[in-house]
Amino acid sequence: MKYFFVSVLSLLFVQVRAQDNRFIFGFFPEASLKYNISENYSITHKIESQHGLFDSNRLNEELDYEHNLTDIQTFLGRKISPFVKVDIGYQYRLQEGENTHRSIQQVSILQRALSYRIGHRIRTDQTFFENASILYRIRYRLKGQIPLQGRELDPGENYLAISNELIYMIQSSEDDLENRLTAAYGFYIDDKNKVEVGLDYRTDDYLVEDRFRHRLWFKFGYYKSL
Amino acid sequence: MYKYSLLIVFIFGFNLCSAQEKDEVEERIKKSEVHPKAIAWLKDAYEKRRKVKWYYQTDGKEEAFEAKLKHKKHLHSVEFNTDGIVQNIEVLIKEKEMDRTVFGIITDYMNTTYNKFSFSKIQIQYTGSEDDLEDVIDENEFEEISISYEIEYYGKTDTQNELWEGLFDQDGKLIVKRIVKIKNTDNLDY
Repeated sequence: MKYFFVSVLSLLFVQVRAQDNRFIFGFFPEASLKYNISENYSITHKIESQHGLFDSNRLNEELDYEHNLTDIQTFLGRKISPFVKVDIGYQYRLQEGENTHRSIQQVSILQRALSYRIGHRIRTDQTFFENASILYRIRYRLKGQIPLQGRELDPGENYLAISNELIYMIQSSEDDLENRLTAAYGFYIDDKNKVEVGLDYRTDDYLVEDRFRHRLWFKFGYYKSL
Repeated sequence: MYKYSLLIVFIFGFNLCSAQEKDEVEERIKKSEVHPKAIAWLKDAYEKRRKVKWYYQTDGKEEAFEAKLKHKKHLHSVEFNTDGIVQNIEVLIKEKEMDRTVFGIITDYMNTTYNKFSFSKIQIQYTGSEDDLEDVIDENEFEEISISYEIEYYGKTDTQNELWEGLFDQDGKLIVKRIVKIKNTDNLDY
């Protein structure tokens, strides 16, 4: 459990340095369900939702609940080798104002070491709006999974999951960068059930003048496979 | 606030789940939890050794202690039974360190069995009596020792595209192989 607190503290520290910019804090539950439809093909459904609790842009800086958005995703994946998988996906986003559609393409590569493992994910996506041009993004995520008891992750044991993702996006010739750093404590109940609890620290508007945004999400993820 | 207290209950619920009984275990243990005979054997064989990591492992039926240490730039895994009697020594080696003839035979097998293959982990395993295994380490003597190779490799056929673990005898002949099940990567992919 001590790893969890260390990760919480280190992320909070990063956050404290940047009080003068926009800061948002909230809850971010997510759940995914994966099942195989044949030897090489699988389907994954995922639902994730952001619930804001604090936003420094509000006049009276107080806690106030706000549903930011909910994403519903479905992916069709094909196994290329035991270590490489490609996916195409679709996302429907529910949010205030306009709900959006997104198409997603990704390649994921698994790298195994003696005890830990690393997942590389390269993703491109396109978001479609009613009255705006298409938003294109390209992103790369690196996620490490480190067992906390012994070298093998056995059912009932826990792990540490750390990831960082860099996103480049462009919409009608305006571009921006976003970074997402996460640290989570994982419960490996068995190979079909995993829970990750941690923090997701997102910063964006790097390339937009006089604006910088921090978002800190308390994340709770459940990964289920059949 | 009620909503969040529910969330916390939920999290701790999972925590309890994960503390339940489990069959397969492999965990780091303290030196003091290891049978003294195992520690004594390791001291005799490896003499001036560096850091040793001890593990306890069980598949639900058989239990074993395992010592992991570095020796002459190689990672050694020494397995002991619960009475502290050494069972075998596994040494992690590189492709080029394998006996050329044996490596040739194994490569031939790979070429004829798979369209595509690559080695990911090679371990040479020494099995024998306590005294003979000690001689392997401190005298570099291999009398009465049976040698085998445990190789993890990727192999693709027309119908299978898997990671395998094969056990080969000292001449490079396949004894047994199985598919290595890679743990779900859903949390790394989505």
